[in-house]
Amino acid sequence: MDAPAVRADGLTKRYGRTVALDHLDLEVPAGQILGYLGPNGAGKTTTLRLLLGLIRPTSGRAEIFGVDAWRDPVRAHARVAYVTSDVDLWPALTGGEVLDLLGHAHGSVDAALRDELIASFDLDPTVRVRAYSTGNRQKVLLIAALMTRADLLVLDEPTRGLDPLVDQVFRTYIRQARDRGQTVLLSSHELSEVEALCDRVAIVRAGRLVEQRSLAELRQLSALAVEATFPGAPPDLRAVPGVHALVVDGSVLRCQVDGSIEPLLRALAEAGVTRMTSREPSLEELFLAHYDRPDVSAP
Amino acid sequence: MSAPRAGTGAPARALVFTLSVRRAVRSGALWGAALGVITVASALSYERVYPTLALREALARAFGTNTMTIALFGPAPHLDTVAGFTSFKVSLTLSVLASLWGLRAATGALRGEEETGRWDLLLAGPRRRVATTAQALAGVAVGIVVLAAACAIVTALTIRSTAGGLRATQVLGLGGAVLAAATTFAALGALTSQLDRSRHDASTTGVVVLAIAYALRLVADAGLGLHALVWASPLGWIEELAPLTAPSFVAVVPVALWTVALVAAALRGARIRDVGAGLLARDDRGRRHRRLLTGPGALTWRLLSSTILRWWIGITLGAGLIGLVARKASSTIGGSSVREVFDRLGATALGTRAVLGVASLILAVVVSLLAVGQVAAARAEEARGHLDWLVASRVSRVRWLLWRLGAAAIALAGVGVLEGLATWGATASQGAHLSPVLLFEAAGNLLPPALALLGVATVLYGLWPRAAVPVSYGLVAWSLLIVIVGGIGAISPWLLDTSVFHHMAAAPAEAPHVLANAVMCALGVLGIAAGVTAFARRDLVGT
Ligand SMILES: Nc1ncnc2c1ncn2[C@@H]1O[C@H](COP(=O)(O)OP(=O)(O)OP(=O)(O)O)[C@@H](O)[C@H]1O
Ligand SMILES: [Mg+2]
Repeated sequence: MDAPAVRADGLTKRYGRTVALDHLDLEVPAGQILGYLGPNGAGKTTTLRLLLGLIRPTSGRAEIFGVDAWRDPVRAHARVAYVTSDVDLWPALTGGEVLDLLGHAHGSVDAALRDELIASFDLDPTVRVRAYSTGNRQKVLLIAALMTRADLLVLDEPTRGLDPLVDQVFRTYIRQARDRGQTVLLSSHELSEVEALCDRVAIVRAGRLVEQRSLAELRQLSALAVEATFPGAPPDLRAVPGVHALVVDGSVLRCQVDGSIEPLLRALAEAGVTRMTSREPSLEELFLAHYDRPDVSAP
Repeated sequence: MSAPRAGTGAPARALVFTLSVRRAVRSGALWGAALGVITVASALSYERVYPTLALREALARAFGTNTMTIALFGPAPHLDTVAGFTSFKVSLTLSVLASLWGLRAATGALRGEEETGRWDLLLAGPRRRVATTAQALAGVAVGIVVLAAACAIVTALTIRSTAGGLRATQVLGLGGAVLAAATTFAALGALTSQLDRSRHDASTTGVVVLAIAYALRLVADAGLGLHALVWASPLGWIEELAPLTAPSFVAVVPVALWTVALVAAALRGARIRDVGAGLLARDDRGRRHRRLLTGPGALTWRLLSSTILRWWIGITLGAGLIGLVARKASSTIGGSSVREVFDRLGATALGTRAVLGVASLILAVVVSLLAVGQVAAARAEEARGHLDWLVASRVSRVRWLLWRLGAAAIALAGVGVLEGLATWGATASQGAHLSPVLLFEAAGNLLPPALALLGVATVLYGLWPRAAVPVSYGLVAWSLLIVIVGGIGAISPWLLDTSVFHHMAAAPAEAPHVLANAVMCALGVLGIAAGVTAFARRDLVGT
């Protein structure tokens, strides 16, 4: 099918005077893993809940494989599985019963995969939900989502509360899902996770999409991280064009440079730099750079 | 320098106490004032409806020894005085409401706060846990005093306007009874909060105890020679206090013993239990009911069946109990003006049927609570986010709500059948030969008000999910209050019309009001349709 897995078109959600999401245009082609990033309160959860038809768009539309998520949720959700981190499941049901229920609600389940997942995630399905630890409740939902082999996995901070071993299991299955052609929309604050899993990232801030590129592109276009050591106190480089995110730590200066690096090199040479390294920024630095600058506007 | 503060303006050491006082005082003042208004309204209506001594004596002759009304509403000595009548009309209502308030306040202060996780920071170590529990309970105690004081003050301030009003000591006694009722059940709530795993469970256990207490004193007062049973019921102790008629201070003893014992047990429980858990262990492993959980319908059944079953058992037992005492009660009605008095209460027939007609109000309230409870359960599912998981997969939210409403319909239909059977069986066993058709008709007559309230609750749920549950329960309470206070004609007809129970016939004493029932059913169905439509178009919202 040609329709993208997810398409948001001028998607807007207001709560009274709060604009939780402001004209979001987003497209996730099928078969990709998109990292969906943004500071707290940026509108990530709002976006995902709109995609799932749990809340109603104030304006705009959200489509899943070409089906409107609000008007026709049942058809849209036939190909979706959803996981969040605030997991409150039916306390009186056992983990196994929750899996049965969600499996039936979804329609189709790969029973062999389910049993494999229960073993890999090391979950005891005979225990009632109220007796599970936070991480174990999270595992129930992850298994429920993965066992359906849904074409689109919508994951909102899916690994919060999981230990590193389980985290690794999760990553393995997400990669496997991508290799099978499933699409993943992953909202997360775990940048290492996003870096390890995602093909592309989208960054939202204050309800607006500020960036949507592949990780490689983002790196190329983005600032270079520079670290320079001086014999004495570092000079004031705030006026140098392209320089931002300046941090001074004793005689060491760290900063990022956009565009041409020449003005900075000249300034550093003048100040008598003794040591200098530069490298592509980590996702964390990219992310922080996007959060810091209030002047970034939507494309 | 003052002690560290945490944004509340209170020293951190007494933080729990301060928070608890704040909650309890506000709601205590409100509820207390409402209790005062009920009392005053009853006294005023008496003076309006029974202005002459002759009328009052007739009333006293008809009801003073009627075991049925006494069983349902409490003893009725001195019906020829304002105090006596008010005592008969509102004492039990007041003690039940005050008991519910105490229960709610205690479970809210102890478990409500704990469930939000707010206490986790304060609860390091068992010593702290006991202190925190004690502080929360102290806050509730202050609230109880405010509740009783507000009731007494409102009553005292407004009652002066009436000629033969209540004496100051009687008003004080009334406050004392409210105090005793709220304290008794707050102590119970403190204990169930330690025993049960959640606030919901703790309150449910408390309400069950309250229902048992009511049933015990009903039997004690039913003229079966079992009056000693009154001492086995906390509500019986409050009844024995009888502040308005014949105060008996002996009844303070069981109240005090009970309170001290339960609070001590609660504090001991707080020391030894885990935070977020209850002392009563429950089985955390379950079989897999795989065949059952195939969708929202199966889930609804799995989640609701045991609750609905409990409602059915409770209503069947209640109806059976009323049926058992009805014939005996009817034989104690004496005097020539009985018919007139029953007329005023809405019943036009005599004998067992008349008594059953009077009792139908209580049953109708219980059935309405069952109906509203189904919407409350649906809202709870949504608020906790459980519904998200279904809607995010292929379950349509409308289908989910229709399953829930279907469960409510089944619950109500079951009530109709069971109540009819129970009444028929119980009255037949006592030799009252009433036609089963008549009794099933009367049982069915309980449903239209419940259906109307279900419709209203569903509309509210579709439009204002967060307000729907308290407002709907409020409507049930309001409807009951209106008929209790205004049932004898001392209230404006327009106000009377706002009560669904006012439109219900006192079947089987009189024939069901076909038109009114049809209107209530139509209202219910329209409300459900409108509510479902609104629900389909709104956001799912959390707590
Ligand atoms: N039901 C609601 N009522 C009012 N405001 C809301 C509601 N839900 C979300 N908001 C607001 O919308 C904005 C976006 O919230 P959202 O939950 O989408 O953020 P988020 O990006 O998921 O943040 P986080 O990283 O903390 O999970 C926030 O300002 C939030 O306060
Ligand atoms: Mg979020």
